[in-house]
Amino acid sequence: MEPDVIPCTSALDNELFGSSLKILRVTDNVRELQTMLRDKSTSRSDFIFYADRLIRLVVEEGLNQLPYRECVITTPTGQTYDGLRYEKGNCGVSIMRSGEAMEQGLRDCCRSIRLGKILITSDEETHEARSVYAKVPQDVYRRKVLLMYPIMNTGNTVVKAVNVLQEHSVNEQNIILLNLFCTPQAVKQILTKFPGMTIVTTEVHPVTPNHFGQKYFGTD
Amino acid sequence: MSDCAFKFNTPSSASDRVPKSPSKTGAGKKKSYATSTTKATRVVHTARRTLYTAGRPPWYDSHGQLKDAFVIGICGGSASGKTTVAKKIIEALDVPWVSLLSMDSFYKVLNEEQHEQAARNEYNFDHPDAFDVPLLAATLQRLKEGKSIDVPVYNFTTHSRDPHMKTIYGANVIVFEGIMSFTSKELLKLMDLKVFVDTDSDIRLARRLKRDITERGRDLEGVLKQYNKFVKPSFEHYIEPTMTNADIIVPRGGENDVAINLIVLHVHTQLLARGFKLRNKLANPESKHEPMPDTLFVLEKTPQVHGIHTFIRNQDTNRDEFIFYSKRLMRLLFEYAMSMLPFKAAAVETPQGYEYSGKRLTDIKIAGVSILRAGETMEQALREVCKDVSIGKILIQTNLDTGEPELHYLRLPKDIRDYRVFLMDATVATGAAAMMAIRVLLDHDVPEENITLCSLLMAESGVHSVAYAFPAVKIVTTAVDKEVNDDFHILPGIGNFGDRFFGTDFLEN
Repeated sequence: MEPDVIPCTSALDNELFGSSLKILRVTDNVRELQTMLRDKSTSRSDFIFYADRLIRLVVEEGLNQLPYRECVITTPTGQTYDGLRYEKGNCGVSIMRSGEAMEQGLRDCCRSIRLGKILITSDEETHEARSVYAKVPQDVYRRKVLLMYPIMNTGNTVVKAVNVLQEHSVNEQNIILLNLFCTPQAVKQILTKFPGMTIVTTEVHPVTPNHFGQKYFGTD
Repeated sequence: MSDCAFKFNTPSSASDRVPKSPSKTGAGKKKSYATSTTKATRVVHTARRTLYTAGRPPWYDSHGQLKDAFVIGICGGSASGKTTVAKKIIEALDVPWVSLLSMDSFYKVLNEEQHEQAARNEYNFDHPDAFDVPLLAATLQRLKEGKSIDVPVYNFTTHSRDPHMKTIYGANVIVFEGIMSFTSKELLKLMDLKVFVDTDSDIRLARRLKRDITERGRDLEGVLKQYNKFVKPSFEHYIEPTMTNADIIVPRGGENDVAINLIVLHVHTQLLARGFKLRNKLANPESKHEPMPDTLFVLEKTPQVHGIHTFIRNQDTNRDEFIFYSKRLMRLLFEYAMSMLPFKAAAVETPQGYEYSGKRLTDIKIAGVSILRAGETMEQALREVCKDVSIGKILIQTNLDTGEPELHYLRLPKDIRDYRVFLMDATVATGAAAMMAIRVLLDHDVPEENITLCSLLMAESGVHSVAYAFPAVKIVTTAVDKEVNDDFHILPGIGNFGDRFFGTDFLEN
């Protein structure tokens, strides 16, 4: 039994990784969502409900990282309002299978966003991550990429997926990883290998709820 | 009808306000009062406060405190015209919030034997003991305090109470009428003005015959028997002597316009006195520089929130996008509002085999109450963050003539008092509708600190009004704008949210 390490020192991580690591502000509400996902007695329907809520919050935070410009609009009362307009040219890429659980959350915020998929498996003998399948928008190199993968233990899968994106000429500066739970070593590996990347997560903790995909899709 | 009664209510600036809704649907919603001869501006909106000179939203003052209602007691013999007098007073008062309570609703339920007696016209309905006075006194007391009450519905055929009660809401003025209304000291204490309607006994008998036979399905012989045996002696014995309690005696009943106008004048003076006090308090210049209250929580203005606001505020945004982006904002709003609920530490077992110390919502019940129509648009977002949430609805519409909110419909979960309530309205301008809704919740015994007002956009004046009146109510919103214009729209604002969301604004070309 490992003692609980929460709250994870987000300040410390931020010192190490600067603004590249964005941890969602953990309100009591967010903590409850995390707790429900961690709890092994949570029913599957509850699990999906709370997972979707947490995903939505991560997606909203991820969208905050996208570029925008200022603009002025007129309201129905005839007054002006100083607003923001988001730039076009974004896309989502999910790492199969668990990353697909986050697609709906992204769709709920950006209805017609283009979505790519990458399938990474680990080699049964060497345990090395291997790219099996990748289908991304053709002009992905011109876009900001919201890479979706909810649980990171070693970070190897994401590293492999970023390699795939790089093969499609995507600049690492344009990749924003949307994640729910990750370990410190995963963060370290990714941001060491790809310092230009941004990671959005809700919790950095040595143990991740790695039953996520099985419980969400009901294959346990 | 004398006009003088109304002049007191007409501030010098009482130029008729022409409602100019950008939605151009104003004309259809206008309400008028049958006997209104003047269009007095009863509400004055300043940049920061809503001032009610008369006919303000009822049963509470600008502090949100309950105000004792003005109770007019009307007594008189059977068929003397009490109800007519009551109705004429209500009409002439021209105050939208008047409740009429009839003593007839409080006849005791008869047992089998008494029921038989009644069938033979041998039961004495004209005796003080025929009424459930303790229930009546408690009900009138609650109504006077501005709380809602459930009035029994008495069935004169079966002599029992219908299973369904009638709900009456607090009002500025309560008219209470009944033949025995002056016989109980308890009841007399609650009345601010006591009126005795004195109508000739021949006329009363003639009316009574007509009413009992046509409306209550009785036969002539029986009615006469009852009249001679009970009604007449009872009047002489119990009712007539109570005339000495009256402040005003109205001869000839409802036809006596002079007397009714005098009563109305008096009541107006009384209400006006309260109104002036209120106005002086509100005119406090210090309030101009008040900081935002501690109970206000505004969602962090992240680039996304700012961007969503840009979409929904833009007059050129089409409805599809308007709905989509406002829903996104609502979801964020409720996730934020949820974080203010009470949580407790909770240790849970994980499949990974270690204990995780997290947080759980404490054992509370959550209900959403939407202020129709715009508040309803937020229900789905609440359901998305709060499983199995109970939803109540309150229909409050702003009377465009006066800018006053009016309560038209109410349906709340049972035992609403046990719930944490998210009160939802898309926009809060002056706060008048929100305050009325909060007051309704308080009347249903929801503790003030258990209420959270959720909206997408508020005006500063609305924030101040609500926070000032209900300091324990949490106010959660996504943006606060500076001003409210003469049409009660927030500036720069969002336009008429309901019209834009539901597509009732104007026909698209």
